[in-house]
Amino acid sequence: MAPISIRGLTKRYGNVLAVNNLSIDAIQGEILGFLGLNGAGKTTTIRILLDLLRPSSGNAIILGHDCQKDGLQARLNIGYLPGEMGIYSDLTGREVLDLLARLNAQMIDKERRRELQERLEFPESDLRRRLREYSTGMKRKLGLIQAFQSDPQLLILDEPTEGLDPLMQESFYKLLVDVKQRGRTVFMSSHVLSEVERVCDRIALVRKGELVLLSSMEELRKLAARQVRIFFSEDVPVAAGLPQGSEIVETGPHSWNLKVEGPLGPLLRALETLPVQDMEIEEAKLEDVILKYYRDGKQ
Amino acid sequence: MRRAALLFAYSLKRVRTLAITTGLLLAALQLVLIFVAGSIQTSGGFNQLSALLPPFARQLLGPSVATFMSFSGVVCLGYFELAVMGALIALAVTLATTPASEVEIGFMDLILARPLARHWIITRTIALTTVVSAFMLALMMAGTWIGLRLFAPEGVEWPSATLINSLAVNLGLLTLCWGGVAMAIGAASRRRSVAGGAAGLLAFATFLLDYVARLWQPAEKIAWLSPFRYYNPFDLITGNALPLKNLVVLGGIALAGFAAAYVLFARRDISH
Repeated sequence: MAPISIRGLTKRYGNVLAVNNLSIDAIQGEILGFLGLNGAGKTTTIRILLDLLRPSSGNAIILGHDCQKDGLQARLNIGYLPGEMGIYSDLTGREVLDLLARLNAQMIDKERRRELQERLEFPESDLRRRLREYSTGMKRKLGLIQAFQSDPQLLILDEPTEGLDPLMQESFYKLLVDVKQRGRTVFMSSHVLSEVERVCDRIALVRKGELVLLSSMEELRKLAARQVRIFFSEDVPVAAGLPQGSEIVETGPHSWNLKVEGPLGPLLRALETLPVQDMEIEEAKLEDVILKYYRDGKQ
Repeated sequence: MRRAALLFAYSLKRVRTLAITTGLLLAALQLVLIFVAGSIQTSGGFNQLSALLPPFARQLLGPSVATFMSFSGVVCLGYFELAVMGALIALAVTLATTPASEVEIGFMDLILARPLARHWIITRTIALTTVVSAFMLALMMAGTWIGLRLFAPEGVEWPSATLINSLAVNLGLLTLCWGGVAMAIGAASRRRSVAGGAAGLLAFATFLLDYVARLWQPAEKIAWLSPFRYYNPFDLITGNALPLKNLVVLGGIALAGFAAAYVLFARRDISH
């Protein structure tokens, strides 16, 4: 059973198509990055999963329960971090955590909460303060604690590191690794590509409400072009028969600069007869692939 | 149910300062009115006051003017004085638009992301509005009772308990009626200010309609549309029984508002 199964999901606002025929399955125990530019439909999709918004057509299933028809069951085992923590500012952090914990179906393990507080450097003294005194980062940390504190089967996180400082981002990434190791599934929206590259197993990329890419990070890396610089012992004219996937970017004295998509084997074979002195291969940049999809949509 | 009760307790806790302060002020007003009424009664000023009343006011108040210009009448004023009615209705509108406020700040996202059905949000709001309104009236009635004990001159006739109860019940239903209207508007709104403003404007407009209809005959034809038409304290203080029609109409509007709120909130998109 897929923790999340989205089928043909569409959401219209009048003439505006916010989500268009979206179909995604999350795999148990993975971290699925949900990427897209602002207004791509990420938050709309997340809100449909939580039955905050009603789809125009299609459906979404969480942990075997339809998000709309059987929403209560679907939300029994979810931890959710909204993009913005909307909480009354006259409450203390502790009151927020206690209230939200008691609204959950599961009992909250106090030890778990304490552990989260420690990992996110959120001391008791901060929990006693009112939210009006909180910085953006503190609110975010509070949001993360409330989402993780019930140790849910599925975590739905909307831009989780927004407002967190680099150290806290690091702690959060470690937290993600831990929950993943315990078999929990994470569905997180983000537009921080480095973050996605680092923590996600797969990514789903949406553009103007449509899914343009659903791929594992491994597959994605294969799609990315590597920069290859070849140094020769003498000037070598550009060969006409470079293998498919290899493209000359520029030539210099005794050197070529190429962009290579896919395996390097064919290029190496083509270079066998040439006076190659040295070679530099730059790691593929996922950002380039993702940005290409952002710009051009489906390939 | 447990989660809904929890949410109710939390909401009640949030409004406790506002409710207690307003309730105490309203109760204090009852004490002040009784103190003033007692002073006027002792100095024999009610006859002079009645003579000072301008003709248009006599026309407006009709035969009840004599009863109104008495110790008992001034004591009852605490249940239909404009500021009192305004405070109660404003409080009811504020409480009834709690869901709109929760949607606006995003708190609703966190609540509804948990296994809590949407209808509990409305049930909580109805309970909150009803309990707090009843608490206000209870404090007012307590204020009246304490005021009469402390400040009523010897031998003066007190307003009957039935009269005070009738005024409180009728005023309570008027308050709930506006709570119901505000709840229906608030259940479909993303902003509390919009929902509260619309309900407030509607209340003001219908109050004016009722008021104008008492002075200007042509407006009488549509005055039945105003909920304020179904709260006529002067009828009550002249000794008439509380009309069942008033209760049915005001209660009916409140129930219709609550029902509309359930339907609208269940169908809406929650976005802020």
